[in-house]
Amino acid sequence: MLYNWIKIFIYHLKQNKLFSFLNVLGLSIGIAGLVFATLYWNNEHSYDVWNPNNENVYQVLNQMGPQKEIWASNSTPFGLACKATIPEIESICFFGNRYDGGLLKYKSKKLIVKKAVISDEEFFNIFPFPIVKGAKTAILKEKNSVAISDASAKLLFNEEDPIGKSVNFENEFYTVRAVYKIIQPSAVEPDYVFNGLIKEGDRESWGNFNYGLMIKVKKDVAIAAVVKKMEKIVFENITQKNAKESGQTVAQFIKENGESKIILDQLKTARLQGTKASIGINFPEGQGNLQLVYIMMGLSILILVLSIVNYINLATATAIKRAKEVGVRKVVGASKSLIVMQFIFETAIVISFAVILALAIVELTLPFYNDFLNKDLTLNGSDFYGQIVLIFVLVIVFAGIFPAIYISKFETLKVLKGNFSRSKSGIWMRNSMLVFQFSIAAFFIIGALVVYQQVSYMSDKDLGFSGDQIIRIRFRYDDWETKLKKYETTKQELLKMSGVQDVSTFEGSFGDDTNSTSGFTHNGIFVQGHNVNMDFGFLDMMKIKILEGRDLSPEFASDTVSNMLMNETCVRTLNLKKPINTIITSGWGNDKGMLKFKIVGVVKDFNITGLKNKIPPMIFVNLKTLGWSNFHFVYVKVNADDLAGTLAELETYWNKNINQDYPFEYEFVDKTFAKTYLEQLKQKNLFFILNLIVIVIAIFGLFALASFSMERRLKEIAIRKTLGAETNTLLKELSIQYVFFCLVGFLIGIFPAYLLLQKWLEDFAFRIDIPLFPFVVALFSLLFLTLLVVLAKAYQVTKMDALKYLKYE
Amino acid sequence: MITIQNLTKIFRTEELETSALSGINLQINEGDFLSIMGPSGCGKSTLLNIVGLLDSASGGSYTLLNQEMIGLKEKERSSVRKENIGFIFQNFNLIDELSVYDNIELPLIYNKVKASERKVKVEAIAEKLNIAHRLKHYPQQLSGGQQQRVAVARALINDPKIILADEPTGNLDSKTGNEVMELLTDLHAKGATILMVTHSDYDASFSQRTILMKDGVVFSEKMNQRNVDVFTI
Repeated sequence: MLYNWIKIFIYHLKQNKLFSFLNVLGLSIGIAGLVFATLYWNNEHSYDVWNPNNENVYQVLNQMGPQKEIWASNSTPFGLACKATIPEIESICFFGNRYDGGLLKYKSKKLIVKKAVISDEEFFNIFPFPIVKGAKTAILKEKNSVAISDASAKLLFNEEDPIGKSVNFENEFYTVRAVYKIIQPSAVEPDYVFNGLIKEGDRESWGNFNYGLMIKVKKDVAIAAVVKKMEKIVFENITQKNAKESGQTVAQFIKENGESKIILDQLKTARLQGTKASIGINFPEGQGNLQLVYIMMGLSILILVLSIVNYINLATATAIKRAKEVGVRKVVGASKSLIVMQFIFETAIVISFAVILALAIVELTLPFYNDFLNKDLTLNGSDFYGQIVLIFVLVIVFAGIFPAIYISKFETLKVLKGNFSRSKSGIWMRNSMLVFQFSIAAFFIIGALVVYQQVSYMSDKDLGFSGDQIIRIRFRYDDWETKLKKYETTKQELLKMSGVQDVSTFEGSFGDDTNSTSGFTHNGIFVQGHNVNMDFGFLDMMKIKILEGRDLSPEFASDTVSNMLMNETCVRTLNLKKPINTIITSGWGNDKGMLKFKIVGVVKDFNITGLKNKIPPMIFVNLKTLGWSNFHFVYVKVNADDLAGTLAELETYWNKNINQDYPFEYEFVDKTFAKTYLEQLKQKNLFFILNLIVIVIAIFGLFALASFSMERRLKEIAIRKTLGAETNTLLKELSIQYVFFCLVGFLIGIFPAYLLLQKWLEDFAFRIDIPLFPFVVALFSLLFLTLLVVLAKAYQVTKMDALKYLKYE
Repeated sequence: MITIQNLTKIFRTEELETSALSGINLQINEGDFLSIMGPSGCGKSTLLNIVGLLDSASGGSYTLLNQEMIGLKEKERSSVRKENIGFIFQNFNLIDELSVYDNIELPLIYNKVKASERKVKVEAIAEKLNIAHRLKHYPQQLSGGQQQRVAVARALINDPKIILADEPTGNLDSKTGNEVMELLTDLHAKGATILMVTHSDYDASFSQRTILMKDGVVFSEKMNQRNVDVFTI
């Protein structure tokens, strides 16, 4: 029986070569999309699964301030107090939320380390990477200890035993205590774990939110109770004290400064569902993009559904041609279930081909996909094989069952007597599926255009500064007391170079943020000001405009002591009508109390953190004013001509005078900022590719369906022709219903498109409003494609020989 | 009304040429009722299709209402056809998806008759052919005889100059067939010109004149005397 089935399957395959091929191709693209999405899904959901503590370990986040900002960092005494007073907490661990990096020396070897974590001694208690060599417990207990990953150990020590060896990291010596194996993926995947995060001064500073904090609770603890207790500690030690210091009642203070809250995110779900910090980052490996996971999953399922719909439509349409075969089979004794089996079997063969082709497509395009996601996904894993089988079965079920049952229900007698090929059965369903396809296509076209417009809006937007021809060069200097002086001399030297137009710096980075923020209150309004400690001439070099008053200038002695600038947002937030000459009590203090500043200028708002975020309130003082020297880059404006020469000159200078041991790192400011919308740029490209695929699949479906339904109407067309219908009339008659379906599909498609895009755009502080234009374009391009396909087919049909169909049907 | 001179039709396939009609001469006058008979493949249907402008001839001359038809373009043929010719087929050729009313109305639509006028005409002809009570039904719901009456109604709705009938009783039982033939005779009596292809001597006997075809030529021609008529007179 199987052989018989295969024979007839191959016969039909040969009869419909083109449609069969397109069908398999469509399905395989759909399946490939789902495989891609599944790989991504698996990867994002496998973070920290390896960690046996993942249910008991929580990350501590603080929600503070009137803007309810989420801080991923915590103050040291707060953590210590939690550990000491809350019995549910078994242990805590402070660690750097960002990877540290620097120069590592061992004997004559020098390495630039990029993924180092600096932690307290509890790191391996929270992230228990398996220890391959060395101490298994109390690894980081002793001062100046380091644990290294097996890969780094091999790199640094080759075959030597690393345990007990002394390495130099950023001019400090550490003893290697253990070698561990990294298990991926994990929230932290450090090559090196150094101890010594907590400095002596940290233990008393309740206001310094410096470090990431993880807590490990005892089993079966009610986590809400822990949050309550932690919030109580914050209330007693920070809120109450601060209120007292500012001479306010607690209620007043909270009203002005917002209530401080604690958020605990379980490690198991922190990657995807964790609260995203608005200040600082949550984990060194960052957070997952749940939205993108859903977008990928949703879009790939849509595409697969689209190709399954094609398959069903085509299968039921061709089924009519096979009605006679089914009739004969029934007459000679096939039961209904056997007929169903036969057609499901055929679907299974088609889908096997499609799955194989899909896997080939995935294998070939995986590198591009990895590049897009910035990941290293591979086609394996036991979960994954199970999922492939599941996808296979599901596609068979959805694509196969319906046509099979449809066919098996053909009435034997009617079929054998002929005149069945014009049956209307299934038309209603096929047409509604067509409408559905049109709405998916409309959704994709609109989506792609809106994403495109948002991305071009972002790349064209006036950022308020000009990064043109400005490079930032990493400036490493450890001694902060002489750092400013070193910078001044460097600046003078650089300005002597012919290719250098200007040199400046500030304590921050475009596309990221300022390096510090300080809250202060004026007239009862609290703002979390972002500190722009900058060199004279910095605003001028970046072409950032002054709206009122003047820029800071070396001509005024007080400009390095008690004068400041503010940006528009800050002025607006503080509700200052006449900002110039207003005296502000800043958030910075010394032993004499809080420092007071006079506003001498208002700076036009410019973007610094990227267009997803609003422009923060900023305050500008000279580098010397506070003397923190908390800057990491030197900004150099270079001539456009002989850029290579200038860069070479700079590199030579840097290697000789500044960072002997480090590679010369530079980047154009424009490019750095563009990274803030890199993800959207990639989404734009993704949408473009998906759009092409969707349109191709949908158009193929339309063509196939139009072909079959028109061929079924050949006799009708012949009669109409005989009765005197002209070609134009016939074309109109044949096409009009598809235009109607197209319009209905479009109307259905615009609602989800509008809502979802609205949601997507909500994430951007700087965004376009959804314009009419994409809808118009989508409508006309869909109509155009529909007419093109349908009219081409209809024209071919009307040219048929009427006689043949009048006689022989 | 129709003059056919030396009409030929050759079918060409890749391998062979078949001569379906080889030099037909025929004259049909207004008010004639002519039947064509002959064995399968003699070319009678081909002749009918050429007369009906569904097919084109390979040579010769065919004038309809003093206008040469050979060499007309598809569009011109289509317009001559819809104004002058009504068809009745063996298998009725009704459109299953349209109701009886819509089927009958079709030629009027293609002749750009106004909707209000169409309604009057369709109802009138349906009344005449005794299918008025079936107008809302679909062809599949009717008996064969009723379907053929619908087809006749459709053929007549436009007041064609000539009615072409291709074995109109072929799919009908003898009683129903008889009804259809009486309908045609009736039409003829009222002045319609009819050209009919048939296998049946009995059907042919309803016409005035029978042409017998064989191998693409007119083999013989005879005038019919209807015995029935003699008795009824």
